[in-house]
Amino acid sequence: MNRLDALRGTTPPKPHDARAIAALAANPGCARRALLDGAGIDKDATARHLGFPAPFGQSPFAITRGNAFEALVKADGCAELLRMLREVLELPVAEVAYHDVENVGAHLRHTHTRALIDRAARDEHDSGTIYDHPLLGLEIAGHTAYLEPDVVAFQLGGRFHIVEIKSFAVIDGQADPAAVAAAARQAAVYVLALRRMLRELGHDPLRVAHDVVLVCPENFANRPVATLVDVRRQLAVLERQLSRMTGLDRLVEGLPEELTFDLLPGEDGLPTRPAAELADALRRTTARYAPDCLSTCDLCFFCRDEARQEGACDLLGRQVRDELGGVASAEEALGLADGSRAPAEGQEEIARLLRTAERLRRECLA
Amino acid sequence: MGDRLDDLERRIDELRAGVRRAMRARDTATARGLRADLRAAERAWDALVTGGLDPALPNDARAVPPPGDVRAVFPHDNARAVSPPEGPGRLAIPGEALGGVPVGGAPSSTAAAGGAAGRQPGAGGRRGGGGLRLVTVREQAHQALTLLGVPAQPRLIAAVREAFLGGGLRGAQLTSLRRDEERSFASSPYGRPYYLCAALTDRLSPARGLLAVSTWPQELRMVGPLSPRVHFLTCAVAVAERMAGGHGVDAEPDSGAARLLARMARNIPGGAVLDIGPPDPARVIEAARAELAVHAERDTRDRADLARRAAAQLGDRGRLFGAATLSTIGDRAATGPPAT
Repeated sequence: MNRLDALRGTTPPKPHDARAIAALAANPGCARRALLDGAGIDKDATARHLGFPAPFGQSPFAITRGNAFEALVKADGCAELLRMLREVLELPVAEVAYHDVENVGAHLRHTHTRALIDRAARDEHDSGTIYDHPLLGLEIAGHTAYLEPDVVAFQLGGRFHIVEIKSFAVIDGQADPAAVAAAARQAAVYVLALRRMLRELGHDPLRVAHDVVLVCPENFANRPVATLVDVRRQLAVLERQLSRMTGLDRLVEGLPEELTFDLLPGEDGLPTRPAAELADALRRTTARYAPDCLSTCDLCFFCRDEARQEGACDLLGRQVRDELGGVASAEEALGLADGSRAPAEGQEEIARLLRTAERLRRECLA
Repeated sequence: MGDRLDDLERRIDELRAGVRRAMRARDTATARGLRADLRAAERAWDALVTGGLDPALPNDARAVPPPGDVRAVFPHDNARAVSPPEGPGRLAIPGEALGGVPVGGAPSSTAAAGGAAGRQPGAGGRRGGGGLRLVTVREQAHQALTLLGVPAQPRLIAAVREAFLGGGLRGAQLTSLRRDEERSFASSPYGRPYYLCAALTDRLSPARGLLAVSTWPQELRMVGPLSPRVHFLTCAVAVAERMAGGHGVDAEPDSGAARLLARMARNIPGGAVLDIGPPDPARVIEAARAELAVHAERDTRDRADLARRAAAQLGDRGRLFGAATLSTIGDRAATGPPAT
């Protein structure tokens, strides 16, 4: 891990939150992101210093809206939430015990969460049903990231459910797929963290359900509605990505000794390293840009700019990139299509397809 | 004379900026001093601009302010009269402290000015939400809590207030109330007939965001695992009973009371038949009592246990406001030996 600390240099590490961990699963193939996150580098500060600030982070209005909706769902001892859990999980009427983990104060929340979850898993007498403001820990590349799921619900059948409260609307049973996918990824992080906690406590990790309860406003009103979302796929991707991060050594080995992404912050905390030098250092690692990065990664504009300069077909999205397997740039693809470029070994098939496409295009346009 | 006026205007501007800065930094002592200076400067300006003809004018000249708006300073004075922590026992008799503030009905010119200034955005501070308030925030919250009969969150208190007792209370106004009450109790214990205090958790620490009344028995001021639900159901019964009794409530389906009850009824099994239409109070009471019966026994037992523990381990202040989670030892020493 020393090598990773060297990559970060003198800049203080940035702790991961669930959103950041979930974003890892969004683009598992990106070595640049894996390295930067593994080293705990503040990508936002890096991007700003490079002159590519991301339009990133939530708008204050969205945050206010989200908080207001969460307060509504949790008001009066989670009255709304209990109604929904009774509907979707068939929670018995007697199951209403509510524990606010935050009552112990911030410094003990994680320990208290562990104690409460342990007690519930042992099925002792007064185990709770709803745990509000829990604090889970997840080890990410040597650092512990602390995560705050909205609510953990425990059912009589002995299974824990993660409840994720989001303020995007479900209209006529449909929600924005991108928003749901992001929520599912984020919830998967919590499921994983809770499972690891149960394993450490010596319980069966599978007692954490892979169905998370997603609570959203219904239609155009503010009335919350709950749906079960299966996050097994997100969990699998996340586990793979996390195991890759522990295997970062292999990625690090391929890098030159003196390489560092240090911002060299001055006394005032502002970076003093020349931006061009930092950009050169970053270009030594391979990124895997895709248009989805624009909604998940702080460095997105930097990587997009790089991809544009190279004319890479990554810009066109994952589907196009996968179909053009083995062809790196748009220029190369065009060359293969009009026959001005001879296909290299292994490119014969894609070259034939591209030439056919080009011929069809000409016929259509003629 | 023109030069002196210019100087004074410059000084008034500086002082105003100083007051704003001090208020932003919450430095009330400095702000008070600066405000006094500001008023003196304004009086001097008035005296100078009228040529010292009418010595009685300066006081009334507030209504005709010099350039800029001096009225912006008055809401703070109002706010000070309303806010409790100024001195122990000052608000002991609710409403007394506001006796001097003219209220609606016979709007004198000062009241109108005060009201107008209070509504100026950003000028009136947090508490200056209109100068026409009959009852203090504290008393308003107390009335709502008495109606509900159990510890409640500010949001619910505000909703109940709006539905039955006349609005004007916002949940945000209650945020610092508990702290103010605790400070007042610390400086002169039992100086007031009642305090708005905390409900205590199973760790004897104050439960987050719940307000209770100090005259309630200790059991009622404890929060066990089932209590949030029990409180919710009890509140629903109280609201429904109040509605059924028709205490100054209009039966309009979209009145505040009906909306509050509808929201509560939706979350009680069997409480609402249909999603739309006004809920039937009798039905809500029946449904809430049915669910209460399931939880009541265990909750009562839990809370009685907790109350015994609180009585054994906490001092007077702790029993009302909870043991601080971090500095328990210091606080206990400060509140004297624990009562048995």
